[in-house]
Amino acid sequence: MQPIELIVNGERLSAAVDPRTTLADFLREAADARSVHLGCEHGVCGACTIVVDGRIARSCIALAVALDGAEIWTLEGLGADPVIAQLRASFHECHGLQCGYCTPGMLVTAREILRRHPAPSEAVVREALAGNICRCTGYAGIVAAVLHAAENLAEGEIPPL
Amino acid sequence: MKPAPIAYVRPDTVERAVGLLSESGGEAKVLAGGQSLVPMLNLRIAAFERLVDVTGLPGLRSASDEGSEVRLGACVTHERIQTGDVPDPSNGLMPSTASRIAYQAVRNRGTIGGSLALADPAADWLATMAALGAAIEWVGPDGPGSCPAEAFVEAAYTTRLGLYDVLTGIRIPRLHPDARWGTYKLCRKTGEFAHAMAIAIRQPGGCRAFLGATEGAPIRLPAVEDMLAGLRGWDASDAARLGEAMAADVAAAGRSLSDVHAWQSRTCLARAVAMSFGAAPPRLGRAA
Repeated sequence: MQPIELIVNGERLSAAVDPRTTLADFLREAADARSVHLGCEHGVCGACTIVVDGRIARSCIALAVALDGAEIWTLEGLGADPVIAQLRASFHECHGLQCGYCTPGMLVTAREILRRHPAPSEAVVREALAGNICRCTGYAGIVAAVLHAAENLAEGEIPPL
Repeated sequence: MKPAPIAYVRPDTVERAVGLLSESGGEAKVLAGGQSLVPMLNLRIAAFERLVDVTGLPGLRSASDEGSEVRLGACVTHERIQTGDVPDPSNGLMPSTASRIAYQAVRNRGTIGGSLALADPAADWLATMAALGAAIEWVGPDGPGSCPAEAFVEAAYTTRLGLYDVLTGIRIPRLHPDARWGTYKLCRKTGEFAHAMAIAIRQPGGCRAFLGATEGAPIRLPAVEDMLAGLRGWDASDAARLGEAMAADVAAAGRSLSDVHAWQSRTCLARAVAMSFGAAPPRLGRAA
């Protein structure tokens, strides 16, 4: 076991971890961040997407021990974020989810899409969401929700990256 | 799946990293961004006793513009290349390539040095660095070493790096200001590894053309380069001659491509050359 200290959703967290523990398992178990969903566990489905030091990352292919000192945000900690708030409303409005398993990863990814492209085209949204797999919706509602969120966020509400 | 038990160390000097690799007798592996290695550990395709994390080594995350060339530390992420956070010696070729590697969440953590050291034949930087005439630098038990990117890969997942060498950086010569480039890769799905890939660079003093995603080392295309030097524009009717030159180059390199793979490579090459003459690249992932 090796000691690590990181900031998860604004709170300092010290723990001893087995080096083989993925960040995803660590966040679910040590930080009770149950929005971090594990789908594929090899970095292709996007359900475990979180924010590490201001950029999205796949927590299933990061080792917790290697992230000593990092600042991490999961959907649990982004409740007050204006972009996430709008995305939630837009996913509701546009039927951007069905079973909900991919949704935390979709929301966290969509937030970064909007930070990089505040007024994205449909093609940009589709390409940027290609790494997040949804087996229910067929993506039409999700893509519509991200475009809807972009239209309904006022200028200045999206923090630049 | 989850990784098997493994030890982890994060040395703070390159010499210490090399020492840790040496004393592990081949049972240790260098960890950089982990975007390929950790999936392999999760799937238990790869097994090691110890990970040596090089992301904390001094200088590995830095980049420097040295006028005629740019040096990138091995742990510079694809995202920093994509966004222009590091100097670009390539008239936009490297940012364009970086922006099409996997997905944003992977680009944010994956590193150019890690990608080169793994040498997955379908990854983007092997062929791109070879086309740009870059040099790969490392430090090993015998001190520093380097070689041209074009000679770095020996076979799929096999490079000139020894078991105890740490890839430290890449030196990329600056393209001529008038250089024009095109690059195209064929993926069944956006962000997946490429089935075929081609890069064409036209510039005064020597054109460069390479195929990537060849299931082995990138293939240089000298006959295609000669043809590019003589082209004044691109017309679809040039495609047949381009395909013949490519086929001759592949055979001269002692390599062979299956019929489908040759067709895919020819398509990528024609699109890369057309792009170097200003054609808009077709939508990614569409083979039409």
